[in-house]
Amino acid sequence: MHRWTYIVRRLILAVVVLLSVSVVTFFIARVVPSDPAAAWVGSHPKPDQIARARIELGLDKPLYVQYLMYMNKLFHGDLGTSVQTHHPILMDLKTYLPATLELVLVGMLMAIVIGIPLGVLSGAKKESVLDHVTRFFSVAGVSIPTFWLGLLLQLLFFSKLGLLPLNGRLSVDTTLYHPVTQITGFYLVDTLITGNWFAFKDALLHIILPAFTLATYPIGLTVRMTRTSMIEVLNQKYILAARVAGLPERTVLFVLALKNAIIPTITVLGLSFVYSLTGAILVEVIFSWPGLGTYVTNAVLSLDFPVIVSVTLIVTVFYVFINLFLDIVQAMLDPRVTLQ
Amino acid sequence: MKDGVLLSVENLHVRFDTYAGQVHAVNGMTFDVRRGEIFGLVGESGCGKSVTGLAIVGMVPHPGRITAGRILFDGEDLLSKDEEEMQHIRGRRIAMIFQDPSAALNPVFTVGNQITRIIRHHMNLSRRDAYERALSVFEAVGLPDPVRIYRSYPHELSGGMQQRVMIAMALSSGAELLIADEPTTALDVTIQAQILDLLAHLRETQHLSILLITHNLGVVAEICDRVGVAYAGNIVEMGATEVVLNQMKHPYTEGLIAALPSPTRRGQPLQSIEGSVPDGLHLPSGCTFHPRCPHVMDRCRDHTPPRVQFSTPYGDHVVSCHLYAREEAR
Repeated sequence: MHRWTYIVRRLILAVVVLLSVSVVTFFIARVVPSDPAAAWVGSHPKPDQIARARIELGLDKPLYVQYLMYMNKLFHGDLGTSVQTHHPILMDLKTYLPATLELVLVGMLMAIVIGIPLGVLSGAKKESVLDHVTRFFSVAGVSIPTFWLGLLLQLLFFSKLGLLPLNGRLSVDTTLYHPVTQITGFYLVDTLITGNWFAFKDALLHIILPAFTLATYPIGLTVRMTRTSMIEVLNQKYILAARVAGLPERTVLFVLALKNAIIPTITVLGLSFVYSLTGAILVEVIFSWPGLGTYVTNAVLSLDFPVIVSVTLIVTVFYVFINLFLDIVQAMLDPRVTLQ
Repeated sequence: MKDGVLLSVENLHVRFDTYAGQVHAVNGMTFDVRRGEIFGLVGESGCGKSVTGLAIVGMVPHPGRITAGRILFDGEDLLSKDEEEMQHIRGRRIAMIFQDPSAALNPVFTVGNQITRIIRHHMNLSRRDAYERALSVFEAVGLPDPVRIYRSYPHELSGGMQQRVMIAMALSSGAELLIADEPTTALDVTIQAQILDLLAHLRETQHLSILLITHNLGVVAEICDRVGVAYAGNIVEMGATEVVLNQMKHPYTEGLIAALPSPTRRGQPLQSIEGSVPDGLHLPSGCTFHPRCPHVMDRCRDHTPPRVQFSTPYGDHVVSCHLYAREEAR
């Protein structure tokens, strides 16, 4: 029961955090010496055009009025209009956010599927050949620059081997002859729902390289975290007790030890998930992935403040919820953790 | 193999290869555990008694290894078995409990989850049957409200209950030999007595043989049938508890018993044995106890003491000491 009161309290706190973030980003955006009205009308504007745009955008009003206007719209689900594309931001986000989420989720899945087993085995067989190889690659994964790795992978799997597509979410053929019906915006999910196998396979092939490029850092981190905490857990008396009780080593490592060791790994994975939402920009650029990173980078370059503020808010929402989610997961895994 | 012997440890040697050199943790440990008896292996910390317990189940911790000796369990040499064969013996025929039950129970699984996992692994029972068996074992070890215990996490139980749970887990698959490594050391005195009573009770009801490893002579006096006194990885004196505690012959045993605080010696300074336990890296030559022995003789310094056997009404009484070498013929 107190778990629910805890969650409600955290949600109330989340609202406070979001309000503060909206205030800070909004005012920072307005303090920067640039003229949104000039950006709105485009190149070579006449002074009267700028003046009209200023009134249209409400930029002539006091700052706090502008903020209240902005928040009022926000509560009605209107994130504003992009100065650069002149599209409603919500519409832009509907295409960009799922693209990034899909990429990041597949990357995280790779980090879990590859990183955790390697970390477990590496920790269990400390100083073995497997451990040394794993540690070499996990250090490499953490330190190789993303853009360089992305280019190398393209060179290898596209140019040399011809196994995987170069970039984008789908190939032109698919877009023309097997178009994806947009339901969730996740192509892998949408194609599955509609039974569009051709497009599913195409989307899957397209996501492998960018997702893996994105995943190298979290994989390296996951391996190292899991290995370290496995080594610590395997020294515990209850592991000896389980082995003495005759339980098979597989169970000891992947059930009895892992459930204890995985908690710090989950925290790291959750945080790198949020980081990747906007941090995936290099990967998105290299693989021409139409995602949030590309969107917000363009917005920053063209001082598209409504977009910057909206994306900041969205990422904050993810950040707050991931953290809450992590705390709940931790409490579920470790009964000694109480949510208070 | 003598009749009625369940476990026989013969001339066991365990070495740890460390950067500082070879640590001789166990040096020729020899003793038997008979069917249905509680055998106490007593000694100070570092005398190799815990390592001996782990060696029996084939779990000598890294970087230790068994360099010599035999461990016969029910007539079979455990040291010649491979890992897979040992897994069939561990938990199923030989079980082990440890000093600190709160550390020996996995904190993130319920007690029920942990015991049924062991039961199902060894006995191939359905989920339902394993649950029933778990509850009946909980009852057998005197845990009140087994259903509630089953659903509890270790940290929700008291130390005494945790140790009962450990004992339940150890015996859940019908083990014949229980190795209890300091089972009461981490517990309150009143709880200690309850756990000892329980072990004595289970010996009767479950046809259990117990190897009780302890540093506490009081525990030995309480429930052990026979006792072996270990020093520097070897047994220096062994025999029926009454004999070893009341008519001890080895100077080390004398020292240990003299060092016990006693109400009859109130006001007098506490006795202690001069010097300290030798570390396994630099074992003394000859009799390993000679640097601390009040009766040390020249030959003690470079001759390994003989095992001298005495007959008593309670059975054999074995002492490894030069003092009794001449009495051997008797």
